Amino acid sequence: MMLSARLARLALPFTLLVLGVLAVVALGAGDMHLSPVRVWAGLWHRDPLAATVLWQMRLPRVAVAMLVGAALSASGLVMQAYFRNSLASPGLLGVSSGGAAGAVIAIALGWAAVSLWALPLTAIVGAVIATGAVLVLAQRGASTERLLLAGVALNALLGAVTSYVLSQYAGLYERNTQILFWLLGGLEDRTWEHVLMGALILVAAAALWPLGRPMDLLSLGEREAQSLGVDVRWLRRRLLALATVLTAVATAIAGTVGFVGLIVPHVLRLLVGPEHRRLVPLSLVSGAAFVLACDLAGRAAGGLRLGIVTALVGGPFFLWLLRRHP
Amino acid sequence: MVAAASSLNALEITGATVPGRIDGVSLQLAPGLLVGLVGPNGAGKSTLLQVAAGLLPATGDVTWNGRPLAAIPTLERGRCTTWVPQEARFEFGFSVRSVVAQGRFAHGDDDQGVDEALARLDLAALAGRPVNRLSGGERERVLLARALATGAALQLWDEPLAPLDPRHALEVLHLARELTRAGTTMLFSLHDLRVANCLDMVVVLHAGSLRAAGPPAAVLTPDLLHEVFGVRARTTEGLTLELP
Repeated sequence: MMLSARLARLALPFTLLVLGVLAVVALGAGDMHLSPVRVWAGLWHRDPLAATVLWQMRLPRVAVAMLVGAALSASGLVMQAYFRNSLASPGLLGVSSGGAAGAVIAIALGWAAVSLWALPLTAIVGAVIATGAVLVLAQRGASTERLLLAGVALNALLGAVTSYVLSQYAGLYERNTQILFWLLGGLEDRTWEHVLMGALILVAAAALWPLGRPMDLLSLGEREAQSLGVDVRWLRRRLLALATVLTAVATAIAGTVGFVGLIVPHVLRLLVGPEHRRLVPLSLVSGAAFVLACDLAGRAAGGLRLGIVTALVGGPFFLWLLRRHP
Repeated sequence: MVAAASSLNALEITGATVPGRIDGVSLQLAPGLLVGLVGPNGAGKSTLLQVAAGLLPATGDVTWNGRPLAAIPTLERGRCTTWVPQEARFEFGFSVRSVVAQGRFAHGDDDQGVDEALARLDLAALAGRPVNRLSGGERERVLLARALATGAALQLWDEPLAPLDPRHALEVLHLARELTRAGTTMLFSLHDLRVANCLDMVVVLHAGSLRAAGPPAAVLTPDLLHEVFGVRARTTEGLTLELP
């Protein structure tokens, strides 16, 4: 299954090309079909109608899709190296649940209606609190097992908070619809504000870029890595912070979108091997392409939401992984 | 200056305590010694090795070559000392060669000595194989090759011989002897007291405390073996294995 060294070197340019093609297709697809030529003209404002459609509706959606995909996939890669377990994923730490709980509270209390920024902000606050709680719970000894169990417990707790809020506001039809819409994850009605928030993802990705090599050593054992000269405490903290920010921002701008962080890094590792210097850039680009493709597929299937499409692909994939995994 | 440097101990542990595991262990190792660490299960051998490697927080002091551990930055520690764990579990399928090359991380990944290390541990033929598909003994040799590739002057190995077949065990002992002749200091844990009897120095741990340390003939006396291990020692004509 693994590609030869020469093909593996071509993986990044190839995925960039795929991402570019997908972006052009996604920009052209919709109620008003645009050919690649019109997309190009629209981007440069030479075609007023196409420009309006692109700049006001499709570009933000495509940009958010790419940012969310890159963020979720990279944060999955980081967590798998961090936990030395290829089954780890962003939902594991409770970060997604924390973000979901924060957003649900913002919607239920009506803050989200007051300001567009309220929902993403509370989602980020929820995610950071969740990660903080995991760290406090797991601080002593801070072994991987402890951290994982803390994440499991927190996931259950935050899920209960979300359910409680949902049940309390069951009478408020409009808010409940909004909560469900958000919990399902989707890219409908994304605006440039969402893209702007997503810029944090680019910052986190840049900070992750040079950490590929020490991640290699960490993924084979903490003490071994420490003994070989890796500052494991610093690296672990840095990775955890980056994974949290990536997941939180992605959750904030697109709702809960599952399985991306599990599928993309796993498939990449099968194709190009486990070296993180190669996997970090590749997971960012492939994640973006994967989510863009899922969104396109959902739209082609008559408006299936992104979270549903990734779950439909991810669920069976996860089960297949579990069977393969000893 | 040179004389002063050579009189320094390669490893000096003073009053190292990890609650419930080791208690007030003090130990000095001169450079270039091949030292065996013995003791019954649970005596604290692995703990002591990790404390010596600076990987486990402990009260007491550890110095390498006269320098307190706290004063040595992490990256430099990776060049001074290397530790090999008792058990290797690899989740990801890195190739044998790339794992051994990780030994050069603290040297800026210069890849120096990696192929030699592979050859010395009889891994040249396995260089391209993923490490998570190897047998226990092969995995152990990968870890030893990685330790060798670091070129560290203080090598701390946790039961390196246990998973190896007789031939590879003898080769590793031979390699260890060669390294110490070239000035490396080596402390490794083992259970085979007959092997321990052939080393430069033996350290005996018992219930978390240092019971004895010194030349094997002085340390591994029938009385001590009976007290610490509960076995009776007798010299007889037995099976002797050596490299051809």
